[in-house]
Amino acid sequence: METAGLYLHIPFCHAKCEYCDFYSITVLDQMEQFCRMLEKELQLRAAEGQTYQFETIFLGGGTPSLLSEKQLSGILETVYRYYRIAPDAEITMESNPGTLDAAKLKAIRKAGINRLSMGVQSFQPAELQALGRIHSVAEVLENFGNARAAGFGNINLDLMTAFPGITPDSFQKSLEQALALQPEHLSCYTLIFEPNTVLYKRMQLGEVSPLGEEEEAGYYEQARILLEANDYQQYEISNFSRGAKRVCRHNLIYWRHYPYLGFGPSAHSFDGRRRFANQRSLMVYLKKLGAGQLAVDFEEQLTDQQRMFEYIFLNLRLRSGIPLADFEARFGTSLDAAFPQSIRELRESSLIEYQEGHLRLTSQGWLLADSVAARF
Amino acid sequence: MQNIRNFCIIAHIDHGKSTLADRLLEFTGALDNRQMQAQVLDSMDLERERGITIKSHAIRMDYTAPDGQSYIFNLVDTPGHVDFAYEVSRSLAAAEGALLLVDAAQGVEAQTISTLYQAIDNDLVIIPVINKIDLPSAEIEKVSQQIVDLIGCDADEILHASAKSGLGITEIVQAVIDRVPPPQGNPDGPLQALIFDSQFDAYRGVIALVKVFNGELKPGQGIRFLATGRDFEVEEVGSLLLKRVAQKSLATGQVGYLICGAKDVRNIKVGDTVTLTKNGAPEPLPGYRQVKPMVFAGIYPVDSQDFEDLRLALEKLVLNDSSLLYEPETSSALGFGFRCGFLGLLHMEIVQERLEREFDQTIIVTTPNVIYRVTTTDGKVHMVDNPSRMPDPVRIEILEEPYIDAHIITPPEYIGNIMKLVTEKRGMLKNQSYLDPTRADLHYHLPLAEVVFDFFDRLKSNTRGYASLDYEFMGYRESKLVKLDILINGEILDALSIIVHKDKAYENGRLVCQKLRKIIPRQMFEVIIQAGIGNKIIARETVKALRKNVLAKCYGGDISRKRKLLEKQKEGKKRMKQVGRVEIPQEAFLAVLSTDE
Repeated sequence: METAGLYLHIPFCHAKCEYCDFYSITVLDQMEQFCRMLEKELQLRAAEGQTYQFETIFLGGGTPSLLSEKQLSGILETVYRYYRIAPDAEITMESNPGTLDAAKLKAIRKAGINRLSMGVQSFQPAELQALGRIHSVAEVLENFGNARAAGFGNINLDLMTAFPGITPDSFQKSLEQALALQPEHLSCYTLIFEPNTVLYKRMQLGEVSPLGEEEEAGYYEQARILLEANDYQQYEISNFSRGAKRVCRHNLIYWRHYPYLGFGPSAHSFDGRRRFANQRSLMVYLKKLGAGQLAVDFEEQLTDQQRMFEYIFLNLRLRSGIPLADFEARFGTSLDAAFPQSIRELRESSLIEYQEGHLRLTSQGWLLADSVAARF
Repeated sequence: MQNIRNFCIIAHIDHGKSTLADRLLEFTGALDNRQMQAQVLDSMDLERERGITIKSHAIRMDYTAPDGQSYIFNLVDTPGHVDFAYEVSRSLAAAEGALLLVDAAQGVEAQTISTLYQAIDNDLVIIPVINKIDLPSAEIEKVSQQIVDLIGCDADEILHASAKSGLGITEIVQAVIDRVPPPQGNPDGPLQALIFDSQFDAYRGVIALVKVFNGELKPGQGIRFLATGRDFEVEEVGSLLLKRVAQKSLATGQVGYLICGAKDVRNIKVGDTVTLTKNGAPEPLPGYRQVKPMVFAGIYPVDSQDFEDLRLALEKLVLNDSSLLYEPETSSALGFGFRCGFLGLLHMEIVQERLEREFDQTIIVTTPNVIYRVTTTDGKVHMVDNPSRMPDPVRIEILEEPYIDAHIITPPEYIGNIMKLVTEKRGMLKNQSYLDPTRADLHYHLPLAEVVFDFFDRLKSNTRGYASLDYEFMGYRESKLVKLDILINGEILDALSIIVHKDKAYENGRLVCQKLRKIIPRQMFEVIIQAGIGNKIIARETVKALRKNVLAKCYGGDISRKRKLLEKQKEGKKRMKQVGRVEIPQEAFLAVLSTDE
């Protein structure tokens, strides 16, 4: 049985955030129909999952916490009916703190979700408003307590940094308030101006501009210093966990280049060589599934070179780096033999180092991961 | 022979030469509108884009005049740039007459004049034509006066035309019949045919364009090229219509092509004379000279592994361009590549573009330089075509650089600007005269190296495009020159070394460092750029290290998109040359070329 992850995309939100480029819509009347079609997709693709043992399930979006208790359990039951799920699987749901309350969290926990991810972004009310978030700081604090009370022992908070208007001071306060809650996991993302977002358009109009490289690097450092001082380990560029057991196992599947199956509009799947994605349109998705067809839109077969390159740039993002034995087992050549010159030069520049059977970025190379990867 | 008319068109760029040629082809019925792709004679894409003729061509038109007489017109097209002056002279030698085409709004330009003098030297009959007379800005009277002053004709000998609208074409054709003399020559004499151009055909080998001066050229003859001493057998002769049309022979006075199984263009040199191996002419036609490159630069593959591909590309390219010289060289910074010799800077740019477009090569062209004559203390004379091979200063007894004799023709209001530019370029004014009240002829001696660097562009921008330049090599002169080295992170990048005048070295070094700082992107470490003369550093700039280059978010299944983003970054790097650990973009190697800010 091969280790794999299972992703479910729930493409509904109360409101779209200006910076977000994940597929979602704000008209919620088709949620019920969507859930039926999602279950249908899970059923139709059952054969794809035959050889996998799924170590993780991840409900992302969109705002999966918009699902009703019944819809959520219906989906999870379908997953369990058609796919082999590991007994100790990590089952995560993303949530908007403004869509939660004590009863809902209890129901979510009861449905089988054992890891909760909360999209907090900031603890400064003015910043939340500027980012277009619908929730308040009070809701975060209240629902964090409610989640603990409901039995969630594994909670992630998403924070955002390096957005226009943030200051080192306000960021420090957000980090401190996040730490005060003692979550098991913290994600800390610098804002990306993604094409096809409102924010991007505003940038083109000259209304906002991204922070400079130096400033962004400063916020990264700020987060790393404070979080490490509080026993959170930076195990990936933007991710911190309290102890090795509390890493996001689902995201590790992506970073370690394991297979995954994705369901719902815009969701991607990967079997180790082939990557494909569903239509990025709820309407098309519903229509296709309604007709008993899959809604695959994009598909590519990775060349050996592309597989190798993905494996390298993804693993480089991990603090542990590229596992050398695994590399050789997968590609039939040692990393050193495949890229002797690049590795020599990068080591001479102190950007990468060998450490316990891995090749990893040094602290100097850490924020240059993409430049380093481009050498492979 | 009495009904043959061999002629060419002398004109400045943009004065309408190609359009007139098209009209003549139409008028004589050599092609109809449907066959007409505008400006048929300029057949290379590059030529059409740049609006100049790089290679000369010839085309035959059969024309029946209104009086019933049939004529053969051979229009010999000439290249239109100073880099190709020698090829121009050989094309002119194939003709008996020339249409001097002058733009009614622009008037006579320097290049036109120098070509015109060559035509007169070759005893060509000149038929002056003022073109574009229908332009609102046409100044027919003024331009007529210029032409009268220039060639001493009567104003009523000047034809007026608009090649674009077809106005005046009948008169031009009649003038070619009436005024251009038929070719001379002895049909019974020993064969003498002039090669005025060559082309390469993948199936037939070298195709020489020839004019038969004496005797007759026909298939089966054993022939000899007098300058190269190579013998061949004639496979085919014929006329150039829109395609090649084989003929039984080319008689005295005729222009046409010759195929003789030669596979290497270097065997068939422009200006050479063809004769018979048996009972051949003992003497060649006059005027042959070995074309010597004036400008040198290194051409290197960006990826060192592409060296062999580049060699093959150059081998193929010279089949069409015998004036390009190349030989392998090694640079400590760039690895294996070629040192190439060009007729001039335009020629260099053309070669670069052809390698990139036709042969799909990703290359670096290093800063062009001229060839220096160095006498070392041991009395030996060295011709140095690569600055990095310049002997150590203590071993140099005499250092000389090539000078040119240049004419700049300009409206008088720009003389001040030109004086300033030429002084900056170390030029010396020899003479100043007026062609007419609106046109001055400034005669200079200038170091060729200064003209190779951005001179032409700056001349144009300083005179709003009105001034024109023509020059020829005049000889070597001693100069106070030094080698300026560029160091990247402490290592000399030999491909960036240049020879500059001592008085300008500091200024140059400072500017080059500043430019490189802007061109070299930030890297994962600090990059220090220095300029030095010998062991002395005279300028320094720093490219700060990159602080952050990493995607914040790399989760969710859409890894294909992230990969494509990174692959794009990688592609960008591929276009850069890695020197040591530093990635240097192609344009950096030409940054030293233009030293203005």
